[in-house]
Amino acid sequence: MSSQKKKTNSFSRMFRRIFLGSKRELSILEEEQMQSPFRTVVRNFRQNKIAMIGSIVFLLIFLSCFILPIFYPLDVTYQDVSQQNVAPGFTMTSVPSALKNNAAQISGGATFGVGIDKDGNYYSWGQMDKKLLNVPENMGKLVQISAGLNHVLALNDRGEVFTWGYDRLGLSRVPMDLSGMVDVKQILAGYQISFAVSEDGELYWWGNENIIDVSPGDHQGHIEKIAANSTTVIALLDDGTVAALSSKETLFSKIPEEIQGNVVDVASTDNTAAALTKDGKVYVWGSDDYGQKLVPEDAQGKIKSISAGRYHYTAILEDGSVIAWGRDNFGQTKVPVVTNAAQISNGYYQNYIITEDGKVQTSGLSGYLMGTDGFGRDIFTRLIAGGRMTMTIGAISVIISVIIGVIIGGFSGYYGGKVDNILMRLAEIVASIPFLPFAMILSVIVGNSLTEIQRIAVIMVILGVLSWPSLARLVRAQILAEREKEFVTAAKAMGIKEWSIIFKHILPNVITVVIVDTTLAFASCMLIESSLSFLGFGVVEPTPTWGNMLNGSQASTVIQNYWWRWVFPSLALSLSTISINLIGDGLRDAIDPRSNDR
Amino acid sequence: MAKYILRRLLYLVFVFFIVSIIMFFIYKSVPGDPARMMIDSSKQSVDPERYEQMYQAAREQLGLDKPLPIQYISWITNMLKGDLGFSTQYRQPVSQIVGVPMGNTIMLNLVSMVLVFLITIPLGIVTAVKKNSPLDNAVQVGTVVGYSLPSFVIALLFIFLFANLLPIFPISGMNAPGLTGDGFNVFLDRMYHMALPCLVMTFASLGGITRYVRAAMIDVLRQDYIRTARAKGLREKVVIYSHAFRNALIPIVTVLTGWLVSVFGGSVVIETIFLWNGIGKVLYDALMQRDFMVVLAMQMFYVIITLAGNLLMDLAYMLVDPRVKLGN
Repeated sequence: MSSQKKKTNSFSRMFRRIFLGSKRELSILEEEQMQSPFRTVVRNFRQNKIAMIGSIVFLLIFLSCFILPIFYPLDVTYQDVSQQNVAPGFTMTSVPSALKNNAAQISGGATFGVGIDKDGNYYSWGQMDKKLLNVPENMGKLVQISAGLNHVLALNDRGEVFTWGYDRLGLSRVPMDLSGMVDVKQILAGYQISFAVSEDGELYWWGNENIIDVSPGDHQGHIEKIAANSTTVIALLDDGTVAALSSKETLFSKIPEEIQGNVVDVASTDNTAAALTKDGKVYVWGSDDYGQKLVPEDAQGKIKSISAGRYHYTAILEDGSVIAWGRDNFGQTKVPVVTNAAQISNGYYQNYIITEDGKVQTSGLSGYLMGTDGFGRDIFTRLIAGGRMTMTIGAISVIISVIIGVIIGGFSGYYGGKVDNILMRLAEIVASIPFLPFAMILSVIVGNSLTEIQRIAVIMVILGVLSWPSLARLVRAQILAEREKEFVTAAKAMGIKEWSIIFKHILPNVITVVIVDTTLAFASCMLIESSLSFLGFGVVEPTPTWGNMLNGSQASTVIQNYWWRWVFPSLALSLSTISINLIGDGLRDAIDPRSNDR
Repeated sequence: MAKYILRRLLYLVFVFFIVSIIMFFIYKSVPGDPARMMIDSSKQSVDPERYEQMYQAAREQLGLDKPLPIQYISWITNMLKGDLGFSTQYRQPVSQIVGVPMGNTIMLNLVSMVLVFLITIPLGIVTAVKKNSPLDNAVQVGTVVGYSLPSFVIALLFIFLFANLLPIFPISGMNAPGLTGDGFNVFLDRMYHMALPCLVMTFASLGGITRYVRAAMIDVLRQDYIRTARAKGLREKVVIYSHAFRNALIPIVTVLTGWLVSVFGGSVVIETIFLWNGIGKVLYDALMQRDFMVVLAMQMFYVIITLAGNLLMDLAYMLVDPRVKLGN
């Protein structure tokens, strides 16, 4: 059978030589004369298609995990409830084309946008759940629209207010007055709460009042316009002053005195409020993160109107151009260049600029490549940062285990006798400790009082220190076979130190076995780290690894509704372990062609 | 032979004591004072002096007032007598806690083990006999994928497929809530809940064992006596199943005994995901609740079964293969 195989091989070789004219194939004997063993290994490996596919896949994953984080840096502490469990896709700023040239008003919610055209028709786009898509019928001609966290308010030309989307916490209870009894001049959908301001300056509100403190007090009847965030309502009154409509003193009620009486417009992000005065200047107050108070100096005095997203401001200047400042984590402060902006509205992280001829230009967050997790964090950036962490832990623990394994295996194999006995008993003791439970216990006991980095280091050491015995045995067996050979005797006769005989003369002869074992151990270390982190005993939140990104995803709601939360980390982890194992197998076959038969 | 077993047993005892010392000192380095935890509930109700007295009494009762080596000796003697300590989480002796979970774990693992061998042995034989055939290559790639996948990824996938997409099995748990009925109904319901974790466990171990069986079989098929059997004109079936497979069984037996550890030890990951009240889940809960007496007892239990498994493996090897001479 084997001779037959050889014949077909030589036929195919001849065929190749004739038609492809490739380089001359060598017989095994010639090959050994011509090529170093290393080159033979490389050639064998490169001929193994599966192993090459594995290498390419692993290389791609490796490069993405180590290069992409430079371009997509991870803010470990970032969380945003308004962005939680967003499905993958880039639809958040996809304004329908019918609206794009004919827009009257647009309003952005947390992950979606709604708009009305000049004929009062309703449009929507972005990530919307079933309730948001359940739009009331026969609303007539809409004149105003407002999107909140997850609900929408609309006002038609008969003065009726409609609401849909999230309907708990009293959001569905629109006050009776608003069904055409009073003239409404502004509607505003906030964070689980809805507001309406009537023509005679009365504020109406309904929804979840537990997190927001609304008490207009004696400002009722004088309100011109309101701006709201998740904690406070800021009102522009009819005498040109600004008031925070809260019962208690907050950062939002520390309004700069010098602007009172001159204000023409107000806006509010989640932690600051801003007012525009008659002379075109913007004043921002509140607790400032992300540079929201840094209004561009050269624009001061020329600002016509302002609007706010979740953590950024946009403003229209007198010449019709648009500027933006504040937080820029999703590129929301980069605005398109326009010269005839008529109005701006902002989603949480988006800007919608409507020009004077009704055209719409958008910028800002359009969506997430792989969706977001339960804390509103982008899965893609966590996936690449987590991959880097998982691979680093795997690599360092493998290096630790290889160093221990080679040294112990080397001494044990070379010296034999008592040394061998003691070292191998040690290996057996370590091997008899059940791996995962013991690693869990150690991480609980040792890891309790440590910082994140120390904890990660401890996990690497635990993995490394527990996984060396198999490699030590392997090295020992190899060295047992090598140490009787002539070159060792020669080295001894030359009086070379024993340390140097073991590690400089013998070890290079068995290094191939070590490399194969290291590759396979790398995959298993990654698996163990992931299992530990998955169970909550490895690297803990908020530092991502592929294991702890899957933590908690066995819950049926996650598996069913938020598939992107578990599919992507699982896929990344599986693909890399599979490709590493394929590389390991390929390497073994390349080094020892006899094992092909196995 | 007897001498060999004796030597192995002596060695086993030696290793056991070494590991137990390591474990004991790791346990001792746990932050927190078990004596305080024991009387924690009465901290508010009694005055400080009385509390201090209670604390000292508790220390004495737990033997914490003695030096460490004496504590170790008393702990290990109690342990060997079967007194595994007292769980702070359940307020029961540890030995009473692990009984039921042990039964659950053994049940789950035995069923999946039978399934695994029913699938992997024929598959391994076929792929070994038809080496390098398309089937073999496909199975080879499949097994690499199989043993590369972490068990929790397989579990997530199977939950998605068989509990969400096709709602055949319950997602997790041991019994339907509020189940009433006779013993047989309860048993059927238990089996129904066991199906998914069992499938996951089976699937997770298919890859490795198929490869192992295949390698063992290929080794045997290369032997001279197989050529002899073929030369005699025996039918291929007889050659493979009677001559080859019986010899290939030898390394497989060692895998089987190696499985003993997981049969009793359970799988922390799978039992935690499926909320299967087994040994692995007990360990997980104990770690989560910082119930270290349970953890320590479990750890010693794991060590014992690993060591016993190793011994059993050697003995089984010797029994099934007369060529193997141990102890030389």
